[in-house]
Amino acid sequence: MNTTLFMREVRSSYKLWLIFIAILAMYISVIISMFDPKLGETLDLFAKAMPDMMSLFGMGSTGATLIEFLSNYLYGMLMIVFPMVFIIMLANRLIAAHVDRGSMTYLLASPNTRRKVALTQMTVLLSMTFTLLLICVGITIGVSAVMFPEALAIGDFLWLNVGLACLLFALCGYCFFISCVSNETGKAVMFGAGIPTFFYLVQMLANMGGKLVNLKYVTIFTLFSPKQILAGEASAWWMCGALMLIGFVFFFVGIRRFEKRDLPL
Amino acid sequence: MIFLVLNKPIYKFKRMITINHLTKDYGQQRGIFDLTFDVKRGEVFGFLGPNGAGKTTTIRHLMGFIHPNMGSCSIDSLDCGTQSSEIQRNLGYVPGEIALPDDMTGLQFLHFVADYRGVTDWNRVEQLMARFELDARGNLKRMSKGMKQKIGIVCAFMHDPKVLILDEPTSGLDPLMQNNFIDLVLEEKAKGKTILMSSHIFEEVERTADRVGIIREGHLVTVDSVATLKASQRKRYTVSFSSESDAKTFAKENITVDGVNEKDVTVTVRDFQPFVAAMSRYTIVNIVAVQQSLEEIFMHYYGK
Repeated sequence: MNTTLFMREVRSSYKLWLIFIAILAMYISVIISMFDPKLGETLDLFAKAMPDMMSLFGMGSTGATLIEFLSNYLYGMLMIVFPMVFIIMLANRLIAAHVDRGSMTYLLASPNTRRKVALTQMTVLLSMTFTLLLICVGITIGVSAVMFPEALAIGDFLWLNVGLACLLFALCGYCFFISCVSNETGKAVMFGAGIPTFFYLVQMLANMGGKLVNLKYVTIFTLFSPKQILAGEASAWWMCGALMLIGFVFFFVGIRRFEKRDLPL
Repeated sequence: MIFLVLNKPIYKFKRMITINHLTKDYGQQRGIFDLTFDVKRGEVFGFLGPNGAGKTTTIRHLMGFIHPNMGSCSIDSLDCGTQSSEIQRNLGYVPGEIALPDDMTGLQFLHFVADYRGVTDWNRVEQLMARFELDARGNLKRMSKGMKQKIGIVCAFMHDPKVLILDEPTSGLDPLMQNNFIDLVLEEKAKGKTILMSSHIFEEVERTADRVGIIREGHLVTVDSVATLKASQRKRYTVSFSSESDAKTFAKENITVDGVNEKDVTVTVRDFQPFVAAMSRYTIVNIVAVQQSLEEIFMHYYGK
């Protein structure tokens, strides 16, 4: 890894990172403040009145405990979609945008190998994504402690985030792979953003249940299941392992392709 | 015995950049085809060709950005495709198109490149900036093409590399800075550096280069010494007279006239004596040397 490059990339992307943290901090606070142990029953009624609408966003059952509430309302969509958008944007900046603009010339016209450049950029992506997640976890624990002392089962909550970290790792791998093999930012964004978004939409449909439930087999988001993680089912960890594997394979293949291919510089 | 000892090492030692049957076919006759030439240690090599002839494509192979369909190229006995990071340790590069990040000032960028390369001698950067009168404090985004070109040049020379690959390095520079650049190239040459410099104008490399390679439509047309090319070059001048009648009578003198246009006569000169003698009999308003295009230079070179 090249520290100079690492620092430069962090410096040029920290604003984006801060914006996403700010947005997520706001949503986290709003969602937690909406939690009311007594209101749980009212929300259940709401869910019964419009089951399709609620399940569409992964908010099938409202849950009586704070962690169930959070796993439905926060980890059903917001904590997946916002980090996902962040990953898509950052992964594209780190490789494809440099190639497209031509500034990759300066990174490669140096004693640093392509592999070293790619590994440095990968490290930037992973460290910014996981610090973002860590900070959100901290905010959630902090806000919960202030609003509902002792209500959050912190151990379970951390496991939930380990699961989410696996999903984000897989997304990082995929988006980085696309960034490594693209010559133009346009294409990188189309595939880098298009496919995860498509998968997410499929996931939304699968959530609706009925015959559509089989759609869950075509999207990787199924591999992150808050319900199974909280229930402590072994299958949840197999699925997390699969997500890690997907991430590793994409990183590996992406970096290999970047090392070997012709670059339009 | 002596033959055995001398032959192989010197053969290897003499060549710094070797291009061997290099071929990259982009289809529709675009690309480079079966290019073979070399640049010797301590030599300045002018790589000439019109726009789109394949100069940059060749250079991109040398930089290891792209890989050939056939053939190979090496610098200092290291393969450009697989050992480029080792090559880059001792190589400076001015790209044909300078693309700089837009979220930094020039100075920040130079500091970044120096740190990134592991350059510790900031003095040299300051000397280079002073030489090109470069004030790099502004934002890169708002810099003119010439300013960006200067930044690119400083980046290429800052680590005092042994080999320099310069892709149309003077584009965007004003004539004064072009001269500064030529002086810099001559200094580096005196220090024994190997330099490959591309251009689409012969005059730009004739002052610095020892040999010149001309490429057209992806094929190497000729490699020859600058002296030979210069000798075979036709010298053409446009002479302006005070009246049209003078121009007409002058055109009938014992000289080779290419064309008469009102008061101007364009002449090809092989022998200067009769030309000067003829001119001395008239009132001359102006004499301009006609710059030859590359096409003309090698058309003439082959016409002989």
